[in-house]
Amino acid sequence: MSEKIIVANKGFVRAEFSFWVGRYMDKFYDAFENKKIIGNKCPKCEKRFVPPRKICGECYEEIIFDKNWVDLPDTGILLNYTITPYKVTDRTSRKVKKSQIIGMIQIEGSDTAIVYKLLNMEPEDISLGMKVKAEWEEKPIGNSADIKGFVKI
Amino acid sequence: MERVGIVGYYQVKLYSNANYGRYEMIFEAVRGALDSAELKKKDITTVVSCTNDYYDGRTISNAFTVEVGGAYLEDESKVEMDGAHAVLYGLMRILSGNHKLAVIWGGSMASCFPYHSARLYETDPTWERPVAYVNDITASGFQMRAYMEKYNVDIEEIAKISVKNRKNASKNPLALEEAQNANLSVNDILNSEIYADPVRELMVAQPCDGVAALLLAPEKQALKITDKPVWITGVGYNQETYYLGDRDLSISNSMELAGKMAFDAAGIKEPKNEINIAELFEAYAHEELIFSEALGLAEKGKGSELNSEIDGDLPINPSGGAQGGNPPCATGLIRIIEAAKQLRGEANGYQVKGAKKAVASGQIGMCAQNNIVYVLEGGD
Repeated sequence: MSEKIIVANKGFVRAEFSFWVGRYMDKFYDAFENKKIIGNKCPKCEKRFVPPRKICGECYEEIIFDKNWVDLPDTGILLNYTITPYKVTDRTSRKVKKSQIIGMIQIEGSDTAIVYKLLNMEPEDISLGMKVKAEWEEKPIGNSADIKGFVKI
Repeated sequence: MERVGIVGYYQVKLYSNANYGRYEMIFEAVRGALDSAELKKKDITTVVSCTNDYYDGRTISNAFTVEVGGAYLEDESKVEMDGAHAVLYGLMRILSGNHKLAVIWGGSMASCFPYHSARLYETDPTWERPVAYVNDITASGFQMRAYMEKYNVDIEEIAKISVKNRKNASKNPLALEEAQNANLSVNDILNSEIYADPVRELMVAQPCDGVAALLLAPEKQALKITDKPVWITGVGYNQETYYLGDRDLSISNSMELAGKMAFDAAGIKEPKNEINIAELFEAYAHEELIFSEALGLAEKGKGSELNSEIDGDLPINPSGGAQGGNPPCATGLIRIIEAAKQLRGEANGYQVKGAKKAVASGQIGMCAQNNIVYVLEGGD
């Protein structure tokens, strides 16, 4: 064995998945098309979820689709963040031009946090608990990328 | 719980890019475990493997490992979590009363694929995956910051865990060579490359190539096989919710509950005083602190005050832990093997004196969504 023989398997079979997001996320993304964030709440413990859920895991209570929706603002509180010089899809080889700042944002009026990029910010601008606002794509199409990220307000 | 004994084990040397194939590696581990107990293939009554289809790049990844795993025309099935979870399945099979010898093996070759990128496939395909901000590395950045913020822990305290574990790994001949380093300083850790701030490269358990195997037998059989059995006296497992934004990442609820379940089964009331050594699957340095606190080995936020060196008050990861090499699907299983070695007095070079009771843990998922804990006891 002078040199290892490597057989590369580079996607010679196309097996791409097309997921339907389900009724709850469908409604959530419909709101995105109007640059709005909605969530839903557990009828028992009143915990408010973003994105919306079919059930509250803790109460094991169904959150009936026809009700329990809450309109929320597109502003939130920064709970946590991390700064990474890598593309998340390819840590091993591809670095991004400028380190990405990725935050956990609690949308105001909700009890959960969502993960998005923080935009127009340097590390020294960040403080936990600061208020941020969603920056929307000009023409949202109804998916998670409609929010480009969050900016400081 | 009826006593089930660990009667043999084997771990291959860990490599970042092994010079032999996965089947050879699996065979070496399983054959090695049988040899360690002077058993033959015919003695095996059930085989539980742990591999992952994504990590192996094929579906039903155990389809190819039947022969080398000792399961030719045998009772075999697979657990697609951590090797420590495969041990649970093997334990249950023994406890069913139908089996006399279970082989549990797990492992993979991380050199064949981009591990951290593949973990993007763990994320919600309808919500997080298309924007791709979450993988195991960025999730660990959130987890570490949450812990530091909540308890006011300095980054230096977390770097010290990497220094300790990499120093311990230097005494463990089976650890990954790249991770074996007795001369690192806290500054070396802090100055290593940023993966996802505050997480640095040398705080990450490096994915690598490796396979390990373990043998379990019911009490009566175990005593026939070996005069040095290690008993599983407690096991606990727990899983928390998936979304990072739904969880308090500064603590590990699932580890706490898994620990409680395991300690209750083993009749342990004060883990801090009753456990002599811990082998915990810390995928990142800060997880060792979060886990040891969740298990009650230290007070919340005070894990760094515990002297967890090999000759310390409560040695944690004397083998080097996952920092000493992280072969996906084997790492938790190796923690159990390392704990068993300590109880049998076979941890040459990093033996903890007088170890009688040990705790070992495995994990799977982002920020250790799922944890599994074993209490092991030596002696007869």
